[in-house]
Amino acid sequence: MDHPQIQLNNLQKIYRVHEREAGAGASVRSLFHRKYKEVKAVEGVSFTVCPGEVVGFLGPNGAGKTTTLKMLAGLLHPTGGEARVLGRIPWKRERDLLRNISLVMGNRNQLMWDIPAMDSFLVNQAIYEIPPKQFRETLDELIALLDLEGLLKKPVRGLSLGERMKCELAAALLHRPSVLFLDEPTLGVDITMQGRIRQFVQEHNQRHGATVLLTSHYMADVTALCKRVIVIHKGKLLYDGDLAALTDRIAPFKLVRLDMETAEAVAEAEKYGDVVETEGNKVTLRVPRADTSTVVARLLSELPVLDLTVEDPPIEAVIEQVFQGANVQEAKP
Amino acid sequence: MRYWLSIYRANLKMTIAQMLQYRFAILIWAVWGFVGPLISLAIWSAATQAHGAITGKAAGVTYSRADFAAYFLIYMIFGHITMSWDAFEFAYRVRDGNLSPRLLKPLHPIHTDAAFNIAFKLCTSAMLLPIWVLLFVILKPAPPHSWWSLALALPALVMAGVLRYVWQYALAVIAFWTTRVEAINQLYFTLDSFLAGRIAPISLMPAWLGALALYSPFRSMGAFPVELAQGRVPTAQILPGFCLQLIWLGVGVGLLRVLWAGGIKQYSAVGA
Repeated sequence: MDHPQIQLNNLQKIYRVHEREAGAGASVRSLFHRKYKEVKAVEGVSFTVCPGEVVGFLGPNGAGKTTTLKMLAGLLHPTGGEARVLGRIPWKRERDLLRNISLVMGNRNQLMWDIPAMDSFLVNQAIYEIPPKQFRETLDELIALLDLEGLLKKPVRGLSLGERMKCELAAALLHRPSVLFLDEPTLGVDITMQGRIRQFVQEHNQRHGATVLLTSHYMADVTALCKRVIVIHKGKLLYDGDLAALTDRIAPFKLVRLDMETAEAVAEAEKYGDVVETEGNKVTLRVPRADTSTVVARLLSELPVLDLTVEDPPIEAVIEQVFQGANVQEAKP
Repeated sequence: MRYWLSIYRANLKMTIAQMLQYRFAILIWAVWGFVGPLISLAIWSAATQAHGAITGKAAGVTYSRADFAAYFLIYMIFGHITMSWDAFEFAYRVRDGNLSPRLLKPLHPIHTDAAFNIAFKLCTSAMLLPIWVLLFVILKPAPPHSWWSLALALPALVMAGVLRYVWQYALAVIAFWTTRVEAINQLYFTLDSFLAGRIAPISLMPAWLGALALYSPFRSMGAFPVELAQGRVPTAQILPGFCLQLIWLGVGVGLLRVLWAGGIKQYSAVGA
């Protein structure tokens, strides 16, 4: 097994937050007596990521995903625990580490707003000491993969959100980082652009073997890119393993969608599984995964079926169940 | 060395390009630098018209109208070349989290900011040069007392610029603890106005205030190169003046390093 590029051991981050009641009285009182509350953003998270892996890091808002990524990128100091990225402690912010990683945040930008992205790229070339030949090669590759032609000469403020995001990705990858942290890279961009960015991350990973840790609220990003997912909730790790295994464990069923000839046939079909929804002559059944092929064969031979499809339950629903406290501990590898 | 040259060259190119987008705003900022010295000059010129040349009792130094004109015109230029405003910018970046992309790079943000500062000076000084020349022609300042002292003003000016920048950045870093660093900055600017000799030459101040100013970091970053350019620093005090600049620079760098090391651990809840 390759030596892990990312290692976390019982990593913790506790924020101390000043809090007070609303109103003028409370605000005067807080001048003399401040109350603080401890917010446990990350509570003892441990995992490792090997070179070249693309791992989905999932959790609802406030789960601690971004805080974890920021600690791994050297932006935040943890309250406890240990972490190593490329063998180094990230919050020591050693130059050798920072030259080999990148964190792309969907809601933050590194490009200068008023000038073309190319100007910012040239500054990155100097900062990361990218040799001219490598810079040109990487830039050409990024222009082709991200379809950047024509965007690099426009001031960044004149780009659409999706175009800006593509330029941000390019800026973050010019130095060919070995480890890439992506925090909501498709946030707010349209579906076409989401697909493009997804495809790009995949190709970049395959070409350069970069290790990617990705957070996203769009499950399509995760299903398209990640075989492995890590789920955290309220700062604690809930699941770390294969995405397909998670689906099997949490939702051990398939959805069978039927279009029947008659209303009577719909009523009959409802006896073959749990009804999820009915609309006219269409019905969706939930069938245990192990019985799916038997049930489908019986439906086709015994009832007047016009059309039949078998689907996995939507991943959103699976993850939602995990967040709601479904027992996934056994699914840990 | 080549690395640093290429870093500063790339940053200078980028920031100059950025500044040229906002020519009018830059001009307003640059003109703002005229206001203080010209008002001080107007007040002291009126005083010399009423009372003739003014003598500082403590230092026994006399200033005529032409001396005041020289002092404040040189201060106008030197003040412009050494000014820095990072405390405002930095606090804003800490507050809205825009410091993060800068911290992700393998380069201390002070270098990008310093390059911005230098780019600003290059752009604005080119714009202001004709106005400075015009003011010298109109206000007829007294010529320097000695030319070799004027030459010494140059290294003192560079030191003053670096010194002011480092101290201002150390102040900026306090934003890691409190994002309302403006209050502290205001106090700093008030002290700077008096102790750096912006409002009046230090040699005209009451003895106790003059002594305080003389040994404060503010004179090293303000009045010292101006006094050298005028040739008003007694020969025996020139070397101690440079030594003081070095000492305060050392203190500033130490302070900045300590504050940075502690502050970076604090950077979290605000908007990182």
